[in-house]
Amino acid sequence: MQIEYDTKLDNSTYDAIKAFQLNTVNSSTSDLTNSKMRDIEAAANSFFTSIATAFNMTGYNSDNLKEYVPALVFTLYDGFYIYSPFENTLDEDTQNKLAPNATYTNGEEITGLKPYIYYSCRYVKGQMDVTITYSLDNYITIQGYDQNGKGINDAGYLLDDVTYNSANGNVTYRGINITSEPQLTEYIGNKQYAYIKINGVKYYRDDDGSWFTILNGRKNPGQGPFRTGNNDMGYRYYKEAYEFKQRLQSYGITNLTSADAVDVADVTDKDGNVIYSFLNGNYKIFDFDGIEEPDSNFNDHRLAVIRYVIERNLSIALANYNNYGIGSYEFRMPKLAEEDWGKLLNNVSLISFLQGLSIGGRIYNGYSVINNNKNEEVVTENAIYIVENINDDNSTYHRVTHENLAVNANSRGVFNMDFERKSIGSTTSEETYYYYPHKQLGCYTCYVAQTAAVGISNIYEYLDDHRDLAKVYYTALGRERYSMYKVFRNPEEHVNQFKQ
Amino acid sequence: MGDSIITIVAIVLAAILMFVFPLMTMSDRTDDISQLTVQTATTEFVDNVRTTGKLTLDDYAAFEQKITATGNSYDIEMEVKVLDENPGKKTTQANSTKIGENVYYSMYTSQILDAIASTNGSKKVLALKEGDMFSTSVKNTNTTLSQQLKNFFYTVAGNDTYTIAAQHGGYVTANGSGD
Repeated sequence: MQIEYDTKLDNSTYDAIKAFQLNTVNSSTSDLTNSKMRDIEAAANSFFTSIATAFNMTGYNSDNLKEYVPALVFTLYDGFYIYSPFENTLDEDTQNKLAPNATYTNGEEITGLKPYIYYSCRYVKGQMDVTITYSLDNYITIQGYDQNGKGINDAGYLLDDVTYNSANGNVTYRGINITSEPQLTEYIGNKQYAYIKINGVKYYRDDDGSWFTILNGRKNPGQGPFRTGNNDMGYRYYKEAYEFKQRLQSYGITNLTSADAVDVADVTDKDGNVIYSFLNGNYKIFDFDGIEEPDSNFNDHRLAVIRYVIERNLSIALANYNNYGIGSYEFRMPKLAEEDWGKLLNNVSLISFLQGLSIGGRIYNGYSVINNNKNEEVVTENAIYIVENINDDNSTYHRVTHENLAVNANSRGVFNMDFERKSIGSTTSEETYYYYPHKQLGCYTCYVAQTAAVGISNIYEYLDDHRDLAKVYYTALGRERYSMYKVFRNPEEHVNQFKQ
Repeated sequence: MGDSIITIVAIVLAAILMFVFPLMTMSDRTDDISQLTVQTATTEFVDNVRTTGKLTLDDYAAFEQKITATGNSYDIEMEVKVLDENPGKKTTQANSTKIGENVYYSMYTSQILDAIASTNGSKKVLALKEGDMFSTSVKNTNTTLSQQLKNFFYTVAGNDTYTIAAQHGGYVTANGSGD
């Protein structure tokens, strides 16, 4: 019974992730907060619909099952949402305005998304008092006071080994010269358009020189005009990372050690062994020695903070659930297995909990963690594929780790979402057309069967030995990361930088 | 006299112990195997529909044949939840293809069978789309040998209870074509 229920829970969680993917792949606004919340609420609804279908036979329906689901956790790029019941609190003003028989009342128990919780940690050292928000990659946001007590509000990517020559504007990363790349193009329907992706939104150039975006599967004209020609997003990524590093040094952030973190406790595994100790691990977090590599001090610390924040908030949410819960069963946070944490900390995921169902003599208590590897939230190191010849639709695309992958001037790195099928509605009829933004096919031996893929643990070290490939890859990684939506930016000012 | 009664009782007991109990155990195992077969076949059938986005009479017949090969008769209940537009939503971002926000209407077994029944030799396909839900549940309708024996000895199982049951369902992940 336990296994049967585990499978059902896994299936439903997978369905919710699938719904989230299908909803976001066709929406260029899915990274904006209000739109993202709708997508997440839709995914939560899908979860309940799916789980109701899965348990149909045993006489539970969606509303019954809600009582057994203490929380759904959607982990995203720089924080997470918890979907669970809470008490609706209305201020007096609102209460007075409501009709006596209004649907919403004060103190009513409703199920919904709780406020977004960031993966953040506070550090105090001398005069310095900062809160640093981490993300699923090497992007951080800093707010607070620097070593001289001056206010800071800054964000950027952490990269080691970037050089910038202010005289000629040359940027190198790990010894590789990063330049701008040719104009990007992709298909919409059967036609290729030049485009530029700024802050998570793709702007396409039409034949007559006007620009449009795609909103809800329809053309949305009247954008831009933007500069055409070479795309320098990758170049900007490395240049800004270089400048960010200089600023961090001037703030004194680089002197922070993990022991300066406040309000944290050691991270332990299922059996109580300490996995990460904030106090004893007394080393510099931002030492810039291979900071983006998987085993750096920064990455260890970042993962520990993310894990601590999720664990703490989640156990509070689950404990509070007992206030709303049913009957005699006391909800408790199950300890997540190490491999599940591995999944959670590396990509956008959904954790679902199902507790309190009677399974013949015992009470069911289970959880499920499902990764979402097709999303517009984060560009992981694995999300960049290398297309042999970008100008040829019959070309193939490869994983970066394809054995002896040869690249040339026409090779280009492409974000995995751009190989996903998208849809666009006709402007004249109700019909919907499906298309692939890039028509190249996946390589059989590395993408499908993975027989030719080299097994590596550190992609950066691997690429140090493959410099031509590294240039294509780093440019694409930089371009895609830089083009992502960032909360910290002023969207209007940022877009204006690229206008004609 | 007393001896012969005891002998008869002993013979009856021995008969039960030697024949009926092994028979019950055997028939129980047979039901377990049937259960496993039915569960596997149901999962396969539903997942096939979910990943191809279409349901044909051939698929259904093959599935029916596979489960009846266990020697029992079954009641197959199918349900398709079709994703529909939600006319009540009036936001600028309303999107008729959004999953989880829009309403569903349901089609049940008899409607589904009508939709895929072949007319004049031409085969029909029920095409589903991304975001629809498909689920199937199967229960045995005959009384299996194990149920009969249990009914006889324990008189616990009622007439309408089933011992073999399987259920599977979930989202359709592909747009099926009608041909």
